[in-house]
Amino acid sequence: MTGFAVDYDTWGVPGPTFITLYLAATVIAVAVVLVRRRALLGGRAAPPADQLGPQQVAYLNGGADFAVWTSLGTLRSRGAIGVDSERRLTADGPLPPAATQLDRAIHYAATQRIPARDLRRTEWVERALVELRDGLDQRGLALGPDRRAALRQGPLLLVALVVLGVVRIVAGLANDRPVWYLVLTVLALTALTIVLLVRVPRRTRAAEAALRTLRQRNRHLAPAANPAYATYGAAGAGMAVALYGTASLWALDPVFAQQAQIQRHVAAGGASTTGGCGGGSTAGASGGCSGGSCGGGGGCGGGCGG
Amino acid sequence: MNTPYGVGIGWRPEISGFVAELPGLRFVEVIAESVPAAGPPPDGLLELHNRGVTVVPHGVRLSLGGAAPVEPARVAHLAAVAQLLAAPLVSEHIAFVRAGGLEAGHLLPLPRTHEAVDAVCANIARAQADLPVPIALEPIAALFDWPDDELDEAAFLNEILERTGALLLLDVANVYANARNRGTDPVALLDRLPLERVAYLHVAGGAERGGFYHDTHTDPIGREVLELLAELCARHRPPAAMLERDGHYPPAGELRTELDAVAAACGFPVVT
Repeated sequence: MTGFAVDYDTWGVPGPTFITLYLAATVIAVAVVLVRRRALLGGRAAPPADQLGPQQVAYLNGGADFAVWTSLGTLRSRGAIGVDSERRLTADGPLPPAATQLDRAIHYAATQRIPARDLRRTEWVERALVELRDGLDQRGLALGPDRRAALRQGPLLLVALVVLGVVRIVAGLANDRPVWYLVLTVLALTALTIVLLVRVPRRTRAAEAALRTLRQRNRHLAPAANPAYATYGAAGAGMAVALYGTASLWALDPVFAQQAQIQRHVAAGGASTTGGCGGGSTAGASGGCSGGSCGGGGGCGGGCGG
Repeated sequence: MNTPYGVGIGWRPEISGFVAELPGLRFVEVIAESVPAAGPPPDGLLELHNRGVTVVPHGVRLSLGGAAPVEPARVAHLAAVAQLLAAPLVSEHIAFVRAGGLEAGHLLPLPRTHEAVDAVCANIARAQADLPVPIALEPIAALFDWPDDELDEAAFLNEILERTGALLLLDVANVYANARNRGTDPVALLDRLPLERVAYLHVAGGAERGGFYHDTHTDPIGREVLELLAELCARHRPPAAMLERDGHYPPAGELRTELDAVAAACGFPVVT
C-alpha cells in the first residue's frame, strides 16, 4: 500500500505547484508594498534645505523635543528667557520680532513660570508642535499619523501571506509532506514584514536629503568645533541645537542648561558629533563636565595663542 | 603661488562658519599645530583652499628662540602642513616656549644679546634648511625687558633678518604694546624696520590693565593701533594685513566692522 499516500496532496494542491504560486504571490505582494512605501516616503517636491527654519530642521532631525530645545536655545541667546532658582523658566525680555508659533508658546510658558521639563505638557506648546509637524507634513517632509498609518497598511498584506504559509506548513506536516522550501520562504517573508512594520520613518527622503545638506553646510556649528555662538547669533545657535541636540544647548549656556535641567548629550540618530577636532598639542582642556551623568564629550580644541 | 594679499583673518574652528562667508577673502592664517601633518586639513580650511584662498601656517611651538636646537620633528610638521596647504610661506615667532625641558605654555621674549642673536639665527637656519617655503618671523609683545639687553629692539630684529634672510611678520598691536609699555614712540621703531620685508601684518585687539597695555587678542582693536596701522601703511604698505582674534568672539557684525577698519586703514579692498 505504498502508492496511496503519493496521490494524496495537501488541500489537493501538489507541493511544487503551491510553492510556485506562493512564491509568485510573495514577489508581487512585496513589490507592491515596496513601491507604495517608496512613493509615500518620497516627499514629492520638498522645499530646498535653506528654506527650513531651525525648529523645522530640529523636528525633522529629532522630533518634538528637539524643536523645543531649539526654541529654548534661540530665545535664550536673544535674552528673552531665563531660569529661576526653582528651575522654572522666566521671561527676561520681550518676544523677538521673528518669533515662531513655538517661540510664542514657550515664551508664554516662561511668563507662567513653567519648568522647561514640563513644557511639552502645556497645551500651547503641544498645539504649536502639532502645527509645526502638520506644516512639515504638508510640505512633504515629515510623515504625520495618517501617512504613517498608510505605511503600515501595506505590510498587512504580507501578514496575510505569512498566515497562509504557516497554515499550509502545519497542514503539510500533519500530512507528512516535505515543507522545507515553504518554511524558508515564510521565514524570509516574516522577517521582511517585521522590518517594514517596525521601521516606519518619521521623515521623507526629501527631508533626509535636506538634513544631509544642512549638516554638511553647518559643520562649523558642531560642538566639537567649539563654535563661537556670539558670532553666529541666535539663528546659528538655533541651528546648532537643531542639528546637534542638547550638547549644543549646554555649550551655548551651561548655567542655563543646568539650571533648567536640560538633558545632556541627546543627539539625533545620524547627527553624531564625532567630527575630528584637529590634532595639535596646544589644546587646553576646555570645559569639563560638571555634575550630572555626563559620559564622554566635553570640549576639545581650546585656544591657541600666537 | 599666491602670496597673501589684502585683508585676511586668523582662521579658527570657532569662527570657521563666519570666515567661510567672507566674499572677498583672499588669505587666512592657521595655527600650524592645529593641522595634522598627515592631513586632511579641517574641512573649512580645505574649502577655502579650494576656493583659491591662500592659507599661511603660523607656528606657535617651534621655540626658535630657545637655547636648545629647534626640534626637527616640529620643523617637519610645519613643513608638512605648508605642503598640505600649498602655502607660499610659513611664519613663526622670535620667542621661546620651552627651556630645560619645561613648557612655558606661552611665548617668552629673548634677551636682546649678541649671544641670543647667534642662537636664534642658528635655529632659524636649521628650520629654513628643512622648510619648503620661506619663513616670516614675528617679534612678540613683551611686558618686560631683560636686564642684560645689549641691543635695542630695532637693532636686534634687523640683525636677525639680515643674517637669516627671513621675511618679517609684523604685529602692529605688538609694536604699539611694546612702545606703550616702555614709554617709547612706536613710529620711531617703524622707521628703523625694513618694512619692504614685511610679508604680512597682524592686527589684534588689546586691553589696558594695571597701567599696562596687554596684547590679548580677545578685545576689539584699539583706535591707537588702527592709527599706527594707517601710519605704517602710509610709509610702505605690506602686501597683506590680517585680523588676529583668539577668543571672546564678538557678533559677526562687529568682526566685519573690524575687518573693514583694517581695510580702511591700509587702503585695501573690503572683504566683507
